[in-house]
Amino acid sequence: MERLECQWCHAQNPPETRSCEHCGAPLDRANLVSDSGWREAPRLRDMAKFQFSNSTCQVEGELVPVAEINLSPGDGVIFEHHTMLWKDESVPVGVYPLGGGLKRSLGGMPYVVTQAGGPGRIAFSRDAAGEIVTLVLHPSMELDAREHAFLAASHSVRYSFERIKGLTNILHGGSGMYLDRFVTAGEPGIVLLHGYGNVFERALGPGEKILVEPGGYLYKDSSVNMQAVQLNVRTGLFSRGMYMAEMTGPGRVGIQSMYHHHASE
Amino acid sequence: MTTTPAPGAAQATTYVCRYCRLPSDASGTSCPSCGAPVDVRAAVSDSGWVEQPAVRDMAKIQFGQSYCQVEGTLVPTADFGLAPGDGVIYSHHTLLWAGTGTHLEAWSQGSFFTRTYAGMPLVLMRASGPGHVALSEDRPGEVIVLPIPPGRGFLVREHAFLAASDGVDYTWQNAPVWLQTRSGDDTEYEYPIGPYIDLFVARSGRPGLLLLHSPGNLFVRDLTPGQAILVQPGAWVYADTSVSFGLHAEYPASGGFLWGSYEYRTVWLRLQGPGRVAVRSIFEKPERYSGLVASSGMTSHRW
Repeated sequence: MERLECQWCHAQNPPETRSCEHCGAPLDRANLVSDSGWREAPRLRDMAKFQFSNSTCQVEGELVPVAEINLSPGDGVIFEHHTMLWKDESVPVGVYPLGGGLKRSLGGMPYVVTQAGGPGRIAFSRDAAGEIVTLVLHPSMELDAREHAFLAASHSVRYSFERIKGLTNILHGGSGMYLDRFVTAGEPGIVLLHGYGNVFERALGPGEKILVEPGGYLYKDSSVNMQAVQLNVRTGLFSRGMYMAEMTGPGRVGIQSMYHHHASE
Repeated sequence: MTTTPAPGAAQATTYVCRYCRLPSDASGTSCPSCGAPVDVRAAVSDSGWVEQPAVRDMAKIQFGQSYCQVEGTLVPTADFGLAPGDGVIYSHHTLLWAGTGTHLEAWSQGSFFTRTYAGMPLVLMRASGPGHVALSEDRPGEVIVLPIPPGRGFLVREHAFLAASDGVDYTWQNAPVWLQTRSGDDTEYEYPIGPYIDLFVARSGRPGLLLLHSPGNLFVRDLTPGQAILVQPGAWVYADTSVSFGLHAEYPASGGFLWGSYEYRTVWLRLQGPGRVAVRSIFEKPERYSGLVASSGMTSHRW
């Protein structure tokens, strides 16, 4: 039987499907890839719906899209509590067990991460125009995301955080003190990120490097090494260095086109 | 996804616009009363929220002898073509441009002190025709056009107001929800939807036109009598005057740790029908409201 492969998450879909059933990416639109190799993340069609476990996610709106999740009994999502837009009164919420509360607090991250369980509906959105990126994690995958960029993740994804190593990286890296880390074990899962502006992705080969504005970094495979490097930019008599995030492959790197630092960060 | 065809767009010459609820002419591409496109399917989420469609670029809305043309899609501009004797009120910071012949004047209403205290525009402006005046806000979003039948009105979040026609009375009232917090000897009042909410009522015998700017996308739903929904206080935009407001605190299950339940209590705005409510997808980061000692009446639930 003929199947349609999603060019974003590579899942197989039945013919005549307009949006991928696993990530919501439109299946009837060509990939947009720049000459330099950046691929634009698929703009999810308004009201597109996709499935994870026995639950569904519907993406609503286009300027500041909302991820509305209809949780089945036994399913759940984890999220930072301030991204909740609305919920059914009956949906239970609880604290996601997580170590390192003091470190997180010092790093300006939420003290705890929250989880909600089915059955019922809960919806999430962020504080600036942008787009939702659905990252499907196959079993045994690791993904790092910019702190506060994560909108929600399915309950099968293990969430933790990694301290960014090196004083230079912390002081000049522009990505905060921590990275959110999402890991899958035996089950697949999804991570929903909100990127400000448009989101672009590039796959780096082993040893391949790219310099990224630190505020533009959104996510990366954990196999990608991120290091703050100083560029010597001379302006007349004064010399002042500027810092960029040097990404070294192998792996995917995702960036957002609107990268000023918002009040929420 | 649930989609429903535009009501009678192809078959009939009149229909009731699903967004402004007024009889309208289906021969055009936009509702002449609110600018909503008539030839697109409604986007309705499975849970029942209707996404307000963006006013089509360059769509025109008629009111009295004047009209408003909405221009642009990211940060749309409301460009008013005012007939002689017609006018609109607006806040001066939204003025984008005006024709040289358009008469602009200060329009003052209500208590100087309370408006200053609330951080609201001290003096509103009124533009009167003949001539053009154009208004826009400072964030990507949508212009929401609400025709108001005579004698009816809307409760609106403060600072969402873009313009209102001459036939609309603009007043405000104390916010129906508030919290009192205490830290040491300091007692403060907190207002999750702001200290005041705007009330726009069309004078009896005369319809009015109200324009709001909503950052992000806007979603609308009709609540039946007694039906309630929990929304982020910062996301509420407008409601029928029949909708009641309350607060609801929710404490996540934390395995007995106080920090989990206290710091991460979510304070929701509880909207209860009957009536229409609208929320936007963009909202400010919610406050934690620590040291809560009193409120306007808040229900709570501990998971």
